[in-house]
Amino acid sequence: MATGVDQAVGMSLVVFSLVLFTYYSVWVIVLPFVARDHVLHNYFLPREYSVILPGVAAIIVLICIGAFAAIVLWKNRKPKKMD
Amino acid sequence: MTKLVEWLVGVTVILVAWAVVSFDLLELRLPDTYREVAWPMPLYLLVSFGCYSLATVGYRVATFNDCDEAARELQEQIKEAKEDLRKKGLKM
Repeated sequence: MATGVDQAVGMSLVVFSLVLFTYYSVWVIVLPFVARDHVLHNYFLPREYSVILPGVAAIIVLICIGAFAAIVLWKNRKPKKMD
Repeated sequence: MTKLVEWLVGVTVILVAWAVVSFDLLELRLPDTYREVAWPMPLYLLVSFGCYSLATVGYRVATFNDCDEAARELQEQIKEAKEDLRKKGLKM
């Protein structure tokens, strides 16, 4: 078994993804079937955000990946030899 | 029937079914709650796939075995290699 920080990081990733999956599932699938005035609706944002937030997160991830690739390529550029 | 064609056919069938339910293309007039659940489905599947991937990575990070013996053996081999190269004239 991995030790110390590895285990903590791994387990926290698992717990985080479980929480995210459960919250998102309830938000998208369960909530439309629950009555409008039920107290459960207070814990969830309006449904439009269930589409906007993942979209914004995806765009941010793509920007980070693009920035990383750009930095790496910029650092490794070699000037052309004049023969 | 190549694998690519199979996948494309499957994806197209699912996409058409989703579009018919979400945008009421066949005038089926399903109850509104079903339409409200159906239309974010592609995004929901993408998010759940992302969560599954994250959970798998996290779990495998947590359960990856430390190999103490292999680590020690590797350190020994590094020392041997350094000795060997120093004898042959490489300055470290």
